[in-house]
Amino acid sequence: MKHNWAENLRTAGQDNNRKFHFAGFIRENGVILGMVLVLIVFGLINHKFFAVKNLVNVLNQSSLLIIMSIGMMFAMSVRAVDLSIAQIADISGLLAALLLLNKAPVWAVFLVPLLFCAAAGLINCLLVSYLGVPSIIATLGSMLIIRSIELTMTNGAEAQILFTLPKKVTKAFFFFGTGSIGPIPFLIIFTAIVVSATHFIRHKTVLGREMDAIGIQVRVAFLSGINVKLVFGSAFIIGSILSGISGIAMVSRTGSAVPRSVESYLMECFVSVYLGMILSKKNRMNVIGTAAGAIFVGLIGNWITLMGLGAPYKYIINGVIILIALSIGAMKKSDC
Amino acid sequence: MGSDKSKMKSRVPLGSILLQKGTAVGMIGLILILGIRSPAFFELNNLMDVLKQGCVLTLIALSQTIVLIAGGFDMSAGALLQLTANLAAGSIAGGRGTAFVLIVGLAAGVLAGAINSLLVVQLKIPAFVATLGMMLAMSGVALYYNEGRAITLYDKPAFFFIGQGYVGVIPFLFIILLVVLAALHLFLKNTRTGMQMYAVGENEQAAQLRGISRKKALYTAFIIGGAIVGVTGVFQASYNYGASAVSTGMDFLLNALAAALLGTTYSKTGELSVIGTSISAMFISSLSNVLICNGVSNLLQPGLLGMILVASVLLTVVKKREIGQITIF
Repeated sequence: MKHNWAENLRTAGQDNNRKFHFAGFIRENGVILGMVLVLIVFGLINHKFFAVKNLVNVLNQSSLLIIMSIGMMFAMSVRAVDLSIAQIADISGLLAALLLLNKAPVWAVFLVPLLFCAAAGLINCLLVSYLGVPSIIATLGSMLIIRSIELTMTNGAEAQILFTLPKKVTKAFFFFGTGSIGPIPFLIIFTAIVVSATHFIRHKTVLGREMDAIGIQVRVAFLSGINVKLVFGSAFIIGSILSGISGIAMVSRTGSAVPRSVESYLMECFVSVYLGMILSKKNRMNVIGTAAGAIFVGLIGNWITLMGLGAPYKYIINGVIILIALSIGAMKKSDC
Repeated sequence: MGSDKSKMKSRVPLGSILLQKGTAVGMIGLILILGIRSPAFFELNNLMDVLKQGCVLTLIALSQTIVLIAGGFDMSAGALLQLTANLAAGSIAGGRGTAFVLIVGLAAGVLAGAINSLLVVQLKIPAFVATLGMMLAMSGVALYYNEGRAITLYDKPAFFFIGQGYVGVIPFLFIILLVVLAALHLFLKNTRTGMQMYAVGENEQAAQLRGISRKKALYTAFIIGGAIVGVTGVFQASYNYGASAVSTGMDFLLNALAAALLGTTYSKTGELSVIGTSISAMFISSLSNVLICNGVSNLLQPGLLGMILVASVLLTVVKKREIGQITIF
């Protein structure tokens, strides 16, 4: 009797019977199981889906969404939203194309758009963090302003064609998006590096920890001595640079810059970030989950294309899968 | 002591007066100034056109406002509008009556609102993503229905009266808008449910502690919002002589959102208000027209709207010391 209470304390929370709780297992891992299940079913319906060449292609294509979604994730993980992220990717690719068309040196083609994106991110940061404009308003505003800049630069959304330029000019630039190192496309290697780097920054550094704190309870973060304004704002700058990279990658891959073509990725970014959130154990937004979510979105889109289904089905299936995934994920949340 | 009191009474803070009236004055003033610069804007035909277009946007913005007030978010408003516009146009083209399509639009709107609130309240999916999923689903259904083509209507005078008709000199659509606006304003400010919606949106935990049902507030908000957008889709089909092929309605959504957010600048605390939203929506709608009349390129319109949005809100928040977090997730 005497040491029973201590024993109880020690074993509290452990399931000593070690029974396999089916319902609990489903609840914990339901989302990832569901996603894998959906992919398996897709593959069974259409064998081309699982062809290595196809999967590598999807991975290559998804790199744009992966990097952009991670950028969005930084902002969302500190309880903000960055509506301008897709527009920044758009203008970044556009600037790269315009520079290349105007015979700028290769280093400038890569660097200048990134500098522009960092500047745009800085403006967002100042508006949101130092002036206190709600992020949805500030980034909506900056998105619209950047849209106008793009439209004016291209005379009303004229596409900037690059693949008609002489190979000598475009070779270095196109390697980024279409080159390979051995059998692996360079873009995939690059994306893997970016994912690792952002994972490290966001989850293993002090800055990342401070972002966690701000995302949970900003007042406490402030009282703990965190420079809230700086850290909060830095999420926007990091996001902008990442989306700038993805914009350049897109143009490098497709060989042309079509203004406003990246705008539709905004919704897919949200989806990826949310999928990433519910894939995590503690329902926190995270880099790897976001990347997985982006790949999943890419795979679904790819399957729909392989099946020859038109745009209506793409929208409907995407919508339904999101809702189902989130419902399962929400069931997990209500546990704690 | 007495002299202090009288000093305090007569010292009305100029800042807050300027702020409250300032935004409205600024918006109306800007339109007037630009309009005077280019008299083509004030031509009766043009003005009436602007008014009618503004009504559609204002109605969508009002729906968005209600949902925002209750603490939700409606990404699917644009897609719902396009869906009911397509359904209406298709039904009218197929020979159905005006009353029929109005009921269909209303029903579709209520259904969409109910599903949205179900997802948010029962399944606890964040409103942002739940309505995003619904937007994709509804866009898909609309695309499936119209097969990617615009549906144009010809020679349906009874139907066109809704969007293009006048009662005397006033467009019918504008009268509908005023009725809806009055009803919403009275509902939100003078009924218990309305105030509860504000409470839930402002501070959910405090409202819960006071025993205010978040469920009821969200259900009401989404269903009313959905009903408004559903019917507005029918109005849009009537005004536009048909339905467009585009199905996501993102432009409507963004403008409606901008209008609702601009509407918050009408109060010192940044509170959402249907009247503020209405004026802002009319402003946004007439802005692009008046700019074109002035020879300003259409390409600059998004940027100008963005700058106005940010500048207006900046004036309201600049005194606060908080960072711009939002909790719509």
